[in-house]
Parts: sequence; structure tokens; C-alpha cells
Amino acid sequence: MAAPELTVPDLEINRRITILPLQEYYTSGHRTCQGCESALVMRYMAKVAGPRTLVTGTTGCMYVANTSYNSTPWSLPWAHTQLGSSGSSAIGTSAALKALMRKGKIPDERINVIAFCSDGGGGDMGLATLSAAMQDTRYNLLILLYDNESYANTDIQASGMTPWGAVTAFTPSGKRQRITHHRWKKNVPALLMAGHPTGRYFANTSSGFGMDLMEKVRTALDMDGPTFVQTHDPCPKGWDYDPRMSHELAVMAVECGITVLWDCLEGELRYQGISRQQVEGKLRRRPVADYLRRQGRFAHFADEDIDFFQSRIDEMWEDWILPGVLRVNQTPFGPGGSRG
Amino acid sequence: MSVGAVDITYRGIFQKNLAGVITKELVKAARHEDKIGGTVQRYGDSPERNGIPAKQFSVIADDADSLRVEMTKYEPSNVVVVAVMDDTLTKGVESWAWYGVRPINLNLAPGGTLLVISRRSAEELLELIPRREYAWNLAILPGEPSFGGLWVYNDDGTDYRTMGAVSRVAGDLVSLDSLLAQAASGQDGELRAEQLREGHDSVRAYPVDAGVGAEDTYEPVEMPGWTQMREGLVIPAVPVGETNPLFKKYTTRTARPLVKFDACVKCQICYTVCPDECFIPTPEGHWDIRYESCCGCGICAQSCPVTGCIEMVDEAVFDSNEPLHGVYENNREEYEELRQDKLAKAGGPIPHYGIF
Repeated sequence: MAAPELTVPDLEINRRITILPLQEYYTSGHRTCQGCESALVMRYMAKVAGPRTLVTGTTGCMYVANTSYNSTPWSLPWAHTQLGSSGSSAIGTSAALKALMRKGKIPDERINVIAFCSDGGGGDMGLATLSAAMQDTRYNLLILLYDNESYANTDIQASGMTPWGAVTAFTPSGKRQRITHHRWKKNVPALLMAGHPTGRYFANTSSGFGMDLMEKVRTALDMDGPTFVQTHDPCPKGWDYDPRMSHELAVMAVECGITVLWDCLEGELRYQGISRQQVEGKLRRRPVADYLRRQGRFAHFADEDIDFFQSRIDEMWEDWILPGVLRVNQTPFGPGGSRG
Repeated sequence: MSVGAVDITYRGIFQKNLAGVITKELVKAARHEDKIGGTVQRYGDSPERNGIPAKQFSVIADDADSLRVEMTKYEPSNVVVVAVMDDTLTKGVESWAWYGVRPINLNLAPGGTLLVISRRSAEELLELIPRREYAWNLAILPGEPSFGGLWVYNDDGTDYRTMGAVSRVAGDLVSLDSLLAQAASGQDGELRAEQLREGHDSVRAYPVDAGVGAEDTYEPVEMPGWTQMREGLVIPAVPVGETNPLFKKYTTRTARPLVKFDACVKCQICYTVCPDECFIPTPEGHWDIRYESCCGCGICAQSCPVTGCIEMVDEAVFDSNEPLHGVYENNREEYEELRQDKLAKAGGPIPHYGIF
């Protein structure tokens, strides 16, 4: 069976946006909010993956909003999978393709397998299957976690990746208790990187940095073996801000040092863009108050809450040997610290 | 045995809490007249998305049996007031669930009232609102649409002003006196009473005859039955290069981006940051906008590095969803005139704060 002729986008992406392929494989007509950055992540992902791609998606905004009422914006083959099963669906799809190719049922060619999950589906429920997927080096797959910091589809409940103190349906702010969300956000890409030496590529990026995001997705797809990319996407519904600020907030989270642009290719950790300049001390971080004060979910914060948030971010940058990535500030070989 | 309903049509999430306050308080006030009522959020609007039109109803009845019958319906049958929280919704409503674009007054009972919060005149609004086969009333409550968030409520009195206006246009459903009695039992009673009276007194009503208004282009959507669906819930993918034909987003907009092509530096940032894939390339290197897909989030206007190149303009002054670059290609002066005309009608662009 011959593969149908399809144009494959130029795989070499560089920092010039004007050479981006114009072809969209995730098109208009999705039922997302005004200013939805997760939809933008799907668009970037499909654009760089190209037509020879299979996508599976777990339950969440990007499932419900994109495939309801007998219509879809996807031009790629897409299948829904259960909330916690992004990892297992990716392994299964990849293994099935491998078996079909071995038996000669389909031509032996490169087919990208992407499973996406949200912060609830991947960071909370699907962590076990993500872990299993990162262990198996026989299969080529990419898991993309779009992190909008809550269970946004079901009207904003707190997830393990909701930032400290944010208002959600589960953690309202009251008169007696101002802060009811006491958990600090978990860092899934670092968690997977630290525990899975078999994973080939781990990356953290942001929807505000489209070129960085596309480069990372493309790098992951070009690798053999399991890879993982996480994106940080502002959600106008749950974060409670004017949708036109979406892009600006994503950029601001990086400028404040809350989101860190990093990747780890075969054990080599690298920082990108603004985060790299911050690590090298060439750029000062913006105060987190700029970021927090623009969002309704932090409207109840008193000055001391902002100071606490800032102190945690400062600690992450000043005390950790790998700033913003892994909390290791002391080793048997002596004290660490990013500034030496 | 009589039953009537108030339909609150609003912008999803932005006005969700506002609609919730109005529907609940109307029902509570009706209890002061020994009536019984309930509120219902239309199931098809859930989960709500930012800006997408949604509906909540308060159903008020004389006795419990007729209320029970009415509450089992997907949409109440006798809608005596449709309260529109944002005047751009009068162009049509396509909810999150797919029914096609429906006229704003589709379910309005004959002789009912369409209450719009607007700064526009009745003539301007009737250019947007489709005609009906029966007579109805158009009521205008002067004011700006009140937009809040999911967590932060915009407490600007729009809720109680609207309730006051409802008591004026549908006094037999719920009267101003019962609303005042209900407001007095809660917090800030005096302020609420003032807002109720202000809304009651400032609303203006215009009778609209049968056949008056814009052309009604609505065709009921045929939903596929289960026998017509493909096995295994399979949906055909969108052919490459096309868009989803079954869902257009333009009724989500309160404002639309209008491009000054002469100022464009062809940087492509608008195309890159658009979450709805609206921008289409032109041979000259400009980026045209497919308005059918645009939900009016304003990220393009916010990200454009040139001041005054992409501007967000009030949706109500536009009558077409066709892309505009064709006009520019034919005649640049004509396009500039069109742009200035729309800007003047809308009272200037909606201000934004550039990030560059």
C-alpha cells in the first residue's frame, strides 16, 4: 500500500516566524473561550507535527470543546482517551503502528504519535501512565501536557498544578480564611525528568513563546523514544482576566520567573530565551505582583501573600542548583547555588 | 393557572454571576406575591465559555403543578421578557451547543418584551433584530453592558436596575413593590431600592408591529438522528485547508478587529498569536481576517506592534462577516472611508494597552 502524497512541513524551524508553514491541521471552528491559549498550543502542535501524525487526547477542555456536537476542527486523525490514560494510549498507538509495519500491513515510515493531556488529566490522574510511558524506550511518542492550572472544562476546580492561593470552585476565599488553596504547584516535567533516565527529551515552555514551543515539539518528534513537553497556557475563564491579555500574561509569567523555559535533551539541561538571560544574570526578574495583580483569581491576595509568593519564587531562583527546575540546594560535594 | 418566564440572555462567564443574581432575586421577589418559581440554566450552554451566548431563566407560576410542568422543558414555553445583557447579542445567538445562529427574539411570546441594555436608539437596534409575525415590545434600559469575571463580580447596579426594568415591562409577573420588599430583606437595602427605582423609571418601551425589523434568515437546524451517525462515534475530519463548517464563532464577539492595511508592516505576529486561525495571507503580504471564525478576543490588537493598525471596534456597527481585504485591493480610499465610517459610528476603537 502506497502512502498518499501529502506535503510534509519543512522540519527545520528557526526563530524567524515568517518561514512558518501556513498549513493548519487544527483549524477554526472550535468551541473554546475567547482568547483560549490552549487552543493556540493545539494549533502550534498540529502545525509542526504535519499530516503524518496520530493524536490522542484525554478528557478536558481540548477534548470537549473540539469534538462535541458531531463536528471537529481537527484535520489530523484524532481519538479520545480516558482522563488518566494519555501515557497508555500513546504507548498502545505507537506499539500498534510498529506491529503493523513489522507485518507489512502499512508502509514502514515515520508516523508521529502525540498524546495530549491537561494538568488535571496528566499532572493529577494520569501521572502513573505518564511515568510508564517515559520508561519504555522501544516506542516513539510525545506526550504534551497543556497546563492551564485548573480543571477548566468543568468550571475551574483546583488541580495539583493550581498555583498557591488561587481561587477555584474548590478553594474560594472567605472572610475568615483568605487563602484556602495551600498546595504549591507541582513541577511535572522536572518530576518526570528526575525519575526517568530513560526519557529522551523533557521540556517546559509557554504558549506566549510560539517559536520556542514549536521548536520543542519538533525536537521531541524528531527523537526516538519517549518525550515530554509541557506548556503553560493562560486561561481567561479560570484566571479571570480580559481575554485580550492572554498572550501578555503568558509572557509575563516567564518574565517574573514563575514559568521557566527549559529543556533537557539526553541529560543536557538548557535554558531558553528570557529564562536563559535570567539564569545568566543578564536580565532581572519582574516582581510577581505585576503578574498576580492582573488576575481575578488572585484578587483576594493581601500584600503579605504576594510577599510570600515572591519569596518562594526567589528561593527557586537563588538557592536551587538548577534554578526553577529542581529543588536541590545542597550536595555531598558542597553547597550549590546558581550564582556559584 | 398561569406561568411566565424571564429569559436572561448574556455573555458566557463574563455575565454568568450577573444573570444568576437577577434570576434568583426575581423568583424570591415573586414569593412576596404568593407565587412560586424556580431558576434554570439551559443545559446546552454548559460548560460555559467566555463570551459565548448563554441563557438562564426564572420561571414564575401561580401554583406548583404548572411550575413543575414548565421546569421539565428544555426552554420555557411562555417567555414574556427576554432581557439582553449586551446589545451586540441582538445580532443573533449561537450558543455553545449547536443550533445554528438563532434570532434573539425567537422564543419571545406574542406581546412580550425584549429588554435590551444599550446606549443605542430603538431604530438602530431594530436594524439588527429580526422581524416577527406578531407584535411585540422593545424596551431599552440605557446603560453600558456590565462585564465581570467568574470570581470577581462587577457590582455596578446593573442587576437591580434590570430587575426594576422587568417589573415595569412585566408588572403582573413580578411587581416593583415585591422587589423592593425582597431588597429590603437583604444587604445594602437602601442602595438596592434606589437602583430598582432607577431601572424602573429609566426604561423606555416601544411597541413593534408584526413584520417590522431586520430580515429573518433563521432556518432551524436539522440534527442528525442516531441512525444517521457513523458507527463508533466517528466524525469525518476537516479536509486540509478548510475550516469546520458546522460551527462559526462570530456571535461570540462584542468587538471585532479592524485592520488599517496601510499601516501594516507585515510582521505576521497577528497570524501567529491568533488562537482561532482567523488570519489568511494575501498576495501582498497583508493578513486578511476571516470574520466568520473570529471570536473577538482582541489578542491580535493587543500584540500588534504598530499603534492604530489593528483596532477593536464595537460589533454592532457591522452588518457582514465577509473579509474586508477585497475592498482594500479594489480601492484604498474607499476602504479607508469605510474604516473611518465604522470607527465614527462605534465612537472610536476600544482602547488597549500595547505590550511592545
